[in-house]
Amino acid sequence: MNIVFDSSTLILLAKIEILRIVADDIQIIIPERVEAECTAKESFDGKLISTLIEEGKIKVEKNRKREIINKLCKDFKLHIGEAEALYMAVEKGRPIAVDDLPTIKACKVLNQSFTTAIHFLINIFKDGRIDMQTATVKLEKLSLYGQYNRRIIHNARKRLEGGD
Amino acid sequence: MAVISLRLKDRDFKRVNELSKIEHKDKSTVARELIEHGWEFLMIKLYREGKLSLSTLASKLELSVSETIDLLSEFGIESPIEYDDYLKGFEVFKKK
Repeated sequence: MNIVFDSSTLILLAKIEILRIVADDIQIIIPERVEAECTAKESFDGKLISTLIEEGKIKVEKNRKREIINKLCKDFKLHIGEAEALYMAVEKGRPIAVDDLPTIKACKVLNQSFTTAIHFLINIFKDGRIDMQTATVKLEKLSLYGQYNRRIIHNARKRLEGGD
Repeated sequence: MAVISLRLKDRDFKRVNELSKIEHKDKSTVARELIEHGWEFLMIKLYREGKLSLSTLASKLELSVSETIDLLSEFGIESPIEYDDYLKGFEVFKKK
């Protein structure tokens, strides 16, 4: 499966250290601007993302339609990286991974499918790529960095326990 | 550095004086720091209300996206993503 990633989800998955597992299963595609946002400063997540790009696990592509991207920025109050990722997902007919409300709202208007970091965690657990204990620890880390609301974390925990 | 003169409310002037004494800094430094903190607070509030995107917030705070995620986590700022968006996010994996 190919999924276009925005920097928010890419960085969150890197911070909780499941990005490599996700990248083994899914072809991650990012626009150049998202690469620049993720690797702008020295950090653990930036280094991990750079390494995965070098290994070809994350594919960096160029966006050419500047005027459409500028329009997306203006219409939905997005930053350039978010607009590039959204446009790339629409153009390719692929889902977008994004943990950002204005971009999610834009997805709803454009009928664009989306997912977030917490879904990747639940998915790799359901696929048996990580065990229950690891998944629980990663969910705790994600609730710290991702700051999802309590109802979301409660439901995710239930899903890890096989409740949903 | 630009220079401006502005009229402060008595209450705000007292606050600048008080902070200047507590932090052993001159009043100009304290006033500049308060403006900076006020800007950060306002930008984070706009993000929390879903009016600013994460990358826009990072740009307004002159931080990287990673540093902004760390800052929001440190302050315990809840993500504005809603429960129904979360439920919708599973559809991508159902199609897999």
